[in-house]
Amino acid sequence: MTAVTAARSAGTNRKRRAGASGVRRRLAPYVFVLPFVAIFLAFSVYPLFYTARLSFTNWRGTGAAEWVGWENYTYLLTSPAFWSSLGNSATLWLLIIPAQLVLGVLVAVLLNSATLKLRGLYRVGFIVPFVTPLVAVAQIWVVLFDRDYGAVNALLGLVGLPDVGWLTTSAWAKPTLALLFLWKTTGFIVIILLSGLQSINGSIYEAAAIDGASKPRQLWSITVPLLRRTIMFAVVLQTLAVFQMFAEPFVVTQGGPYNSTTTAGYYLYNHITRADLGTGAANSFLLVILVMVLSLMFVRMLRAKD
Amino acid sequence: MTATAKPERRTRPRIGSHVFLMLLLVAFLAPVAWALVSAFKPAGDIVSSPLTFDPSEFTLDNYRAMFQDVPIGQGFFNTAVVLVFKGAITMFFAPLAAYAFAKYRFAGQNLVFGAVLITLMLPTIVLIIPLLLEMKALGWVNTYQALILPGAVDAFAIFWMRQVISAVPDELLDAARVDGCGEFGIFWRVIVPVIRPGLAGLGVLTIMNIYNDFVWPVVVASDERMATLQVVLSTLAQNITGNRIGADYATVTGELLAASSVALIPLLVLFISLQRHFINGILAGSVKG
Repeated sequence: MTAVTAARSAGTNRKRRAGASGVRRRLAPYVFVLPFVAIFLAFSVYPLFYTARLSFTNWRGTGAAEWVGWENYTYLLTSPAFWSSLGNSATLWLLIIPAQLVLGVLVAVLLNSATLKLRGLYRVGFIVPFVTPLVAVAQIWVVLFDRDYGAVNALLGLVGLPDVGWLTTSAWAKPTLALLFLWKTTGFIVIILLSGLQSINGSIYEAAAIDGASKPRQLWSITVPLLRRTIMFAVVLQTLAVFQMFAEPFVVTQGGPYNSTTTAGYYLYNHITRADLGTGAANSFLLVILVMVLSLMFVRMLRAKD
Repeated sequence: MTATAKPERRTRPRIGSHVFLMLLLVAFLAPVAWALVSAFKPAGDIVSSPLTFDPSEFTLDNYRAMFQDVPIGQGFFNTAVVLVFKGAITMFFAPLAAYAFAKYRFAGQNLVFGAVLITLMLPTIVLIIPLLLEMKALGWVNTYQALILPGAVDAFAIFWMRQVISAVPDELLDAARVDGCGEFGIFWRVIVPVIRPGLAGLGVLTIMNIYNDFVWPVVVASDERMATLQVVLSTLAQNITGNRIGADYATVTGELLAASSVALIPLLVLFISLQRHFINGILAGSVKG
């Protein structure tokens, strides 16, 4: 349609020029997407197909690759280490997501009030952890939560509590990593929830207040149901992030103690360091399937309630 | 905006909210603030009395030792190179491709854009192993190309910019065409100025992502000469956890805090000066998944 307009406005007495610009116009989009398509084919599509093929071989980075069929997959699916890495990620998920949602909704609702003083300060302050480099703060975590010299145990000592082996006991290592993740990303979730809150019509609350609904009641019966889409969106995002969690255990615990923080993402990385590339590729695909199934599950839950 | 913006008669709940928010704010800022301040304490004091700060003991020793022992300058340099080139490629080619998707009809359009959408849902770690092998085959391990090119034209950037450019009215483009503007001229002189706010958001998000990127750099460029800032930092914590005993611990901790502070500051400054774009960028960025 716009092509017609352009051709017409180019003038009938200049048909030749209009024809040339028409050709240019038809070719232009191919030229514009070409750099993207080249990079995309070379560094996304090709590696993806390569992983698929690799996952059926026992290649170790050198020599000839031998076709092993489903062996890598059956090896992983019957390997306790693989399941325990998924279990560790699932435990972290449980430690992180519910706490983050409660905290996120509470903070977002409070910040959504236009009359709240210092709103700007809170909003900026809460997002600071999210913009800091993960590796830098993960290292600060190592120092803060050190059993003997850390500030956290020193603080606990002030109120008479005993030292905790945050990073050195398998019972505490997961909560310490969960705390890092919560600290780092809750501000981000608050921003997402705030954007959802801003689309809720304020008159609903006035009606509820007239009906005598208390503030907590309004939060639970109005805000949370209306925010369900945004909350689910946040859950999907964070589920992807938790199951891919890698830098936190890499820097803070190296997967220990006793593999208690070997997350799904860290376990996958271990295949690379051992040059067990076939198994690693199979592991990648299993993880993709898991993450996609989880995402679809949450989307289904969302639809079912609509 | 106006959801709860109605007159407050009682003030008690407000005080409660402020106490809650303030406590949380302190918890959110404390780790960073503690690191920034502690880096100026004598290394021995950081470990022996982590909660106090005596201004008379103020020292730059940790920074001095860190700059001597840690190749942080090299890390900054490598990160800067990647930022400049990868950032420029993303900021130019992603909106250009997005422009084609938003304002033209061409063969294969839906197929390619569908592929973009699928990439958005794929966990990034899937590609790490085959990409690493590809880099080995190309002889690119521990090179700038390996750090710059994969992911340079981000699927997410295209997805976001397509939405932004779709909102630009077609009349504007047609008017430019009547004035004799070429197809690229329309992009450069009409689209780019109009979508500047969106580009600013993409810009800050791109800087943040490249600066903080860790998984790919640590896999493909772990060599000391090629290590980016984040990779350099990650080796420090391993020094601590790997070598826990001895007086050395204090020195290493001091260096670690100094290095972390130096790495934090550029992003904090950028964030505070551009917070509106940052929040817009993060919000749009959250579509990623």
